[in-house]
Amino acid sequence: MDRFKNNIKIALTVLVIMFFLLAGYMGYALFFYGDRWFSSPYNTRVRMSSDQPKIIAGDMMDRNKVLLATTKEGSYKDSKTGEVKHGYYREYSKNTQYAAHVVGYHNEYGRAGAEALYVKYLMGYNNNIFERIYQKAFLPQERGNDVILTIDMQLEEYISSLLGNRKGSVVLLNPKTGEILAMVSMPSFDPNNVSNLEGDNLVDRSTQGLYPPGSIFKVVTAASVLEYMEDVQNWTYNCAGIQAVGDEDISCYNGESHGEVDLTGAMIYSCNGAFAMLGNEVGWKGLLEKSEKFGFNKNFLFSDIMIYDSKLNIDKNTSAAELGWTAIGQGKTLVTPFHMAMVASAVANDGVMMEPKLLKSVIGRRGSVQKEMEPKIYSNVMTEEVARTLKEMMIRVVNEGTGRGASVEGLTIGGKTGTAEVKSTKESEISPHAWFIGFAPAEDPTLAIAVLVENSGTGGRVAAPIAGKILRRARELGY
Amino acid sequence: MQDRQYEIFSLTLRYWYVFLIGYIFFQCLRSTMYRRQNKDVRRQGGGNIAFMIVLLIFSALGLLSIRETTTIDLDVIVLAVLAAAIFLFQYFLLRLVFKGLDTFLMLIVDVLVVIGLIMLQRLSPLQAMSQVEWFGLGCIALVASIIVTTLIGDGRRLLYPLMTIGIGLLILPLAFGRVIGGAKNWVSIPFLGRKFGFQPSEFVKIILVFVFAIEFSLKRSFKERLPVFIFAVISVLILVLSRDLGGALLYYGLFIFIYPIATSDVFLTAAAGGAGVGGAILSYYLFSHVKVRVAAWKNPWANFEDKGYQIAHALIAIGSGGLVGAGLGLGIPYIIPASRTDLIFAAICEEMGILVGLMVIGFYAMIAIRGANIAMNAGNPLDSLLAMGATISLSLQSFIIIGGVIKLIPLTGVTMPFVSYGGSSMVTSFAMIGIIEGVAIKTYRASLDDAGDGEGEDE
Repeated sequence: MDRFKNNIKIALTVLVIMFFLLAGYMGYALFFYGDRWFSSPYNTRVRMSSDQPKIIAGDMMDRNKVLLATTKEGSYKDSKTGEVKHGYYREYSKNTQYAAHVVGYHNEYGRAGAEALYVKYLMGYNNNIFERIYQKAFLPQERGNDVILTIDMQLEEYISSLLGNRKGSVVLLNPKTGEILAMVSMPSFDPNNVSNLEGDNLVDRSTQGLYPPGSIFKVVTAASVLEYMEDVQNWTYNCAGIQAVGDEDISCYNGESHGEVDLTGAMIYSCNGAFAMLGNEVGWKGLLEKSEKFGFNKNFLFSDIMIYDSKLNIDKNTSAAELGWTAIGQGKTLVTPFHMAMVASAVANDGVMMEPKLLKSVIGRRGSVQKEMEPKIYSNVMTEEVARTLKEMMIRVVNEGTGRGASVEGLTIGGKTGTAEVKSTKESEISPHAWFIGFAPAEDPTLAIAVLVENSGTGGRVAAPIAGKILRRARELGY
Repeated sequence: MQDRQYEIFSLTLRYWYVFLIGYIFFQCLRSTMYRRQNKDVRRQGGGNIAFMIVLLIFSALGLLSIRETTTIDLDVIVLAVLAAAIFLFQYFLLRLVFKGLDTFLMLIVDVLVVIGLIMLQRLSPLQAMSQVEWFGLGCIALVASIIVTTLIGDGRRLLYPLMTIGIGLLILPLAFGRVIGGAKNWVSIPFLGRKFGFQPSEFVKIILVFVFAIEFSLKRSFKERLPVFIFAVISVLILVLSRDLGGALLYYGLFIFIYPIATSDVFLTAAAGGAGVGGAILSYYLFSHVKVRVAAWKNPWANFEDKGYQIAHALIAIGSGGLVGAGLGLGIPYIIPASRTDLIFAAICEEMGILVGLMVIGFYAMIAIRGANIAMNAGNPLDSLLAMGATISLSLQSFIIIGGVIKLIPLTGVTMPFVSYGGSSMVTSFAMIGIIEGVAIKTYRASLDDAGDGEGEDE
């Protein structure tokens, strides 16, 4: 019987561990994902019904209190069938189309953007029990709270006009706080009328578009080289325009040869051969480790914004050629423009990547501030020294290298261009994606930017000038 | 304004429910954890917990009785009175008749039934009414099971008849069954002008507990045990083929736990474990419905409209409740698929809160602890294995379903013992408790015999 008892004790221990696992996992999942489940567009609990809603959604404003979305009662057009109905509905201001992907929409059929993510505040679910009971007992109509975003509509409008009808995305951050000052994805849409949209207008390219990074990835490669490779100062490379790496040839843009370059030179001229060699010298491990510090392959669980995960596929079986391609941003790597703005902000902020913030504050009934933005560090990406060195290089890229198009009178800008080759079909040559990431003013950056224009040419010619103009305009507005 | 008054009541009262259930929870927990200091605890009364349960029934059903009408809905009050009466009758009568009963085990089970009943009344009043009937029937099954357990002797003669009945029951739905929830494990028989549907695989669980306990309490060679092994394998296979994956997992889990406890046979357990893993992998590649379940578990959002629908809805509901829940009647738990049966845990979390959800998990854990203790104190291997078998069955079943709902493991359809709507589930779960209580009573009687006049030591 003793052996028996012992066995039962072991079995009981296993069972109790299983129950602890249940409770522990439930707590963990709710803590990290609970809010996301709640704000899921599929959650019909928080959908505002048009006739006799229990509670109506509060207003949404930009950082200067410009009204973006409000709840109104009256006649409106059903966003799917187009028939005219009467009741409560969400109305979006005219200029909301410049920030349509940020603001999103909220109608009978679904929710998107901030309208979805902050539904907890907009629909008053964060109110305490006394406030809720007060509203139910004494107010004719319950109302949720007002949400103030960190974006600036003047910038949104300006950026939209710069992109025009080109497909692309721009993300502008404050690298010190992580605040999103502007986020534009083109083509856009009118949140008041999301039915009958053609194509992919509803897709937010900034946070959901996955693109090959091209040469802007060299910033990440350079960071890992600076951190892990010994004797980088004395490293040089003789560029002949083409370089055999493993069993493949990697050539520089247009087959140009850059002569003898060191790391800074390779960065300034965006020398592919040099970076392919550097990638192999630092090895897959160093490159992967640093990339993951930058947020690659990470599941971004930010409270304020949902961003698709950037993917970097290298491991110990990666061939030398593949590693070379990865180091210059042409491997299987896929990134979102938003993540690239975060990369730029990490360099600008002395190696510290801040958590992106879109929610500036939540204002309750009678103006009480219920929640306010608090900057939070996301990751210590690199040492201050490495960040400083990278910054110097990126300033020279704009002053004398491929990024000259971004330079602006009276403002020092640092940056890196990228020209991401897209697989062309035999019949037609598809232009590459133009990239630019950068920061300004270089002495003490308060702005970090990522610009992507789809299939439009080189980063230096297309993306860099846009970035320069936006940075200048943002400085004029006092950011 | 009627709506708003109800909302205010409901919002306020949710704290009261959490308090009541929390009070019961901590009283039960204390008696479960400090058992050693007070050896007489199994005979000790439940204190005021019975009163608290009655209070819970009336305050929750009372609130629901004013939900849809301006006056009090008498049907709901009748339901509350019935439920309370069955509970009190069962609790006090059993304590009177069966000395040595583990009273706290009964209270834990009853509070689970009450939580389920409240949720059912909120989701579907008609089904709540039949659930009360099942509760009564469960109590009868409980008594029957206690009597069978105390009278079983060494049970050898029962072995082959039980196995025959078991296989017969399992084949029944394959022959005349209906498909419910993707699994063909349902049989309905006409009786007295009504149609009674039941799930034979539920009752086979009881048979399995008895068969395993009887067989493994004997010292036999592998060859002599072969019929029982074959019986076990066939039972699992029939369930896999009829797509009742949760049931199959449960049968298999019962074997993989109970066999090593009885025999300490590492070799054969490892072999069975390997066969189980191999079988699971094989069935993943063989059966499309297994693949679908695994895909839905990995990422329920990827295919929301179709495969991930159930889990995603459950997760949204759990995420919407908050610590104390949305308030009874204020959420929309009825949009969760199978919210009354398999996925009722999500509905509880939504309207009664995460705290109550966690306490429900805790109640199941306490059933496991108390059941295992009764098994440990039992006088002979058969009793010990019976109590442990029933304990393992209940624990695994609750783990499989709650784990599935919160996306810890792939969701497979089994009911939540004592909570889910359903007669077969209720009767079987109570029969399991009857086995555990039967063993407790037997042990107590034996200890009385040993010590002459009742001052005996249990250990």
